[in-house]
Amino acid sequence: MADKSDILQGTLDLMVLKTLEAMGPLHGYGIARRIEQISEDALQINQGTIYASLVRLMQKRWISGAWGTSDNNRKAKFYSITKTGKKQLDTEAENWERISSVIGRVLGIAGRG
Amino acid sequence: MLARPFAALAALVSRIRVWASPRAVDQEFENEMESHLELLTEENVQRGMGREEAQRAARLKLGGVTQLKQTNHELQGLPFLETFLQDVRFALRMLRKNPGFTAVAVLTLALGIGANTAIFSVVYAVVLKPLPYARAEQLVHVFAANAQEGIAGTGISYANFADLRAQNHIFTEMAASQFHQLTLTGHGEPAIVDVFVVTAEFFSLFEQKPLAGRAFLPDDGKPGAPPVAVLSENLWRVSFGADAKIIGSSIVLDKRAFTVVGIMPAGFRYPALTANAPLWIPLAQDPLFGSWLPRRGGHWMRVTARLKPGISQVQVQAELAALSARLATEFPAENSGWTIHTLPLLQMIAGNVKPSLLVLLGAVGLVLLIACANIANLLLTRATSRAREMAVRSALGAGRSRIIRQLLSETAVLGLLGGLMGIALAYWGVQSLSSMLPADLPRANEIRVDHFVLGFALLLSILASCGFGLAPALFAADSNVQSSLREGGRSGESGKQRRTRGFLAAGEIALAMVLLVAAGLLLRSFANLVSMSPGFDPAHIVKADISLPQFQYSTPRQWAAFSSELLEHIQAEPGMRDSAFVVPVPIGQGKINLGFEIVGSPPLSAGSSRLADYVSVSPDYFRVMGIRLLAGREFNGHDIMPSPRVTVISEALARRYFPNQDPLGQRLIFGFPLDSAGAREIVGIVADVRDMDLGQAPEPMMYVPFAQGPFWGGALVVKSSLSASSIAATVRADVRKIDRDLPVTDVTTMSELLHASVEQPRFRTFLLGTFAAMALVLAAVGIFGVISYSVSRRTREIGIRVALGSSRPSILRMILRETLTLTLAGLALGVPCALVASRLAKHMLFGISASDPVTFSAVAAGLAVVAALAAYVPARRAMRVDPMIALRHE
Repeated sequence: MADKSDILQGTLDLMVLKTLEAMGPLHGYGIARRIEQISEDALQINQGTIYASLVRLMQKRWISGAWGTSDNNRKAKFYSITKTGKKQLDTEAENWERISSVIGRVLGIAGRG
Repeated sequence: MLARPFAALAALVSRIRVWASPRAVDQEFENEMESHLELLTEENVQRGMGREEAQRAARLKLGGVTQLKQTNHELQGLPFLETFLQDVRFALRMLRKNPGFTAVAVLTLALGIGANTAIFSVVYAVVLKPLPYARAEQLVHVFAANAQEGIAGTGISYANFADLRAQNHIFTEMAASQFHQLTLTGHGEPAIVDVFVVTAEFFSLFEQKPLAGRAFLPDDGKPGAPPVAVLSENLWRVSFGADAKIIGSSIVLDKRAFTVVGIMPAGFRYPALTANAPLWIPLAQDPLFGSWLPRRGGHWMRVTARLKPGISQVQVQAELAALSARLATEFPAENSGWTIHTLPLLQMIAGNVKPSLLVLLGAVGLVLLIACANIANLLLTRATSRAREMAVRSALGAGRSRIIRQLLSETAVLGLLGGLMGIALAYWGVQSLSSMLPADLPRANEIRVDHFVLGFALLLSILASCGFGLAPALFAADSNVQSSLREGGRSGESGKQRRTRGFLAAGEIALAMVLLVAAGLLLRSFANLVSMSPGFDPAHIVKADISLPQFQYSTPRQWAAFSSELLEHIQAEPGMRDSAFVVPVPIGQGKINLGFEIVGSPPLSAGSSRLADYVSVSPDYFRVMGIRLLAGREFNGHDIMPSPRVTVISEALARRYFPNQDPLGQRLIFGFPLDSAGAREIVGIVADVRDMDLGQAPEPMMYVPFAQGPFWGGALVVKSSLSASSIAATVRADVRKIDRDLPVTDVTTMSELLHASVEQPRFRTFLLGTFAAMALVLAAVGIFGVISYSVSRRTREIGIRVALGSSRPSILRMILRETLTLTLAGLALGVPCALVASRLAKHMLFGISASDPVTFSAVAAGLAVVAALAAYVPARRAMRVDPMIALRHE
């Protein structure tokens, strides 16, 4: 399992939040699937790790969850982003862009040097 | 940004809610995993996998469900609290499974914590707790000292007080007080009440509001003002039945009417913190001291002041030095050589007993240390036998910190159990202590187990459990998993561990030695003290106090007449022929220390003076008290006012002031009493008497005939074979025949008076003796534990030795040698510690050196014997080891 990217906790939380904002209510499986698709399968996550992220976000009340029925008539727990979650997503996204641009610059310099 | 703290709070709330109902959450998560797996499986099936293969791939994709569940559990709940509670439950189970160990450990700890808490409650109430006055830290005791005459601290005259109060810039307020007793009549039986004679500022100094009525006003302090009094709440309740109309009405003190103007709440006590039901009157109206106001020379007022806020100690000292210098220049006759100083009020009140109390606290702390060492040793023993359990735990994945946490939880539970029991013991201990406390211990009525003391006990039990739990926990966590598992329960004790156990046992011996030496020294000091002869024979002597009201009996002639009439009556009673009158009676009443001059001898250089204790006695006093006459004659019935003035001096006075000459026939001049000015001829010399307490060497004393130097009261001493109660009844009846309003108070025997005078040393000797006994028992248990454990671990080795021909006595010698090594190490550590400790307790010793070799060697020998006895039981077991069984053992 060494090929699986060891993604940062906060990064995964951010990705889950963004996915829920973009897609509307989704179950855990759906979220995991969606992230894999978006990343064009570059990010092969152990799908279980999604749930730790979901618990953290639920505890912070950034997402809410409710049991419902899936497309193929299966019971599943659906998550959706809350108002505070959306607000948080904006700040986090901003932060992320700033940090990633900084990291990009640092790595660029390191690469040239 | 507000979202973050809110998010953290929301997370915590959610965790707590989940923690309250963990089952439902686990169940929901399981359902969710199941649904996820099915969705994954379906996707895989759609991709063309077989059903079984699709399921396996799904499981791989999701990850280990058990692990996920665990993570979820930890994320959602409160894992720290959960493991803690789990640890506590486990600890309780372990303790229940080993009732013997638990009982010994909890009891030992409870004893240690209980004793410490009880003593701490005394120290806290007496020494540490702020005094019960508004901003008490600003209050200081102001006193006079005279370095040239070696007087460390005494009172201040009213005239000097008035000048200091008017001239200083460092105090917001100053007040002076004195104490005596007056006779309260008109409300049932005549009663003696404690009266504090104070200046008018007294209550405003303490910022004390009255319960009813008013405090004193400045006008009350002026000479000639109408007499007023402030009652304490207790006196108001006890003597006046809480009469609401008392304010404004008058009460009779020493046959003089005082108008009650106010009542002070029961919580206010000062200057004497022990007086239960006092009253206060202004100094100017006092029958006794009122006339002393203008006299600058007497050092008789107790002065208390409140420092201005923010004033420094340096400023205070500088100002007082300047004021002292000014007083000395203006009034050189009375004030040269005298300086004024301050002391925090709390220190003045508790300063005397503080060192003894701190020594007791230190001693009881040592007991707790020994108790902790004992429990640590027990835990180490157990840790060794639990090595396999720990090895299994760590093999199953418990981390080092997890194991330490679990073991510390066990000791914390142990510590809290011990603490709870200790607190129960402390409640009981404080109660039984209260009945034993010396009567003169200040603030004794404030001693109780309160929140602060409970906090101390709790802190102590936590500290103690950390103290005895840490080492065993660290050792257990360090044990080598592989070897422990391989060798089963047999191995596990490293050399380090054995050394620690040895060190703990030796440490216990050392600490026990410190306590035993201290107790031994105190015990011998006490024996020395009570074997001191007071200089009189206390056997069969009953003493009763009689005080004459000042307004009715105002002249010395009346005082003398009263005493001779009373003695006539008493001596005529059957069996009470041997009676006398004396003031002050030795032991317990204080003394009157006065300067005197010798006629014909050159005046002394400035700043030094001849001092002696002044006693006024009726003719038969020396015979009744059994004070030996060494030369000359005693007083007789002819030594009365018109006859030549005479005095009898003590041996110490003769030796100090008449070296190499015959004092008989020499003449002395006293400055007191005022009406007996003129020289007194020395007609006799008597043996010395310890008039203050048994611990003080006899001071020079001078006796005068009561008829020539009468007082407004004194003590009747009766030597008789009759019972004390029948003597008391007869005395009361005879006094009533003369004046039915005169109370007879403080009836006791001289032996009881002597007994009471050594209450403080007896109390601390008893306590320290108790602590030393506890220490000895604990140390013996400790040695027993170490040696029996060592024997049980060496059963196999002993078996081999016996099989190879070692004789049983040689096995016994081997075990005893081990004990002896431990004991010697302990004693080697203990002797220097005991030397340091006994130096600290030096102020409590009497007639014995702090490094008394007899006490030290007796204690060392005693400890060695106790250690040998404690080791004897396990040693006998070692001797009986059957080699065949021992070799098959394990």
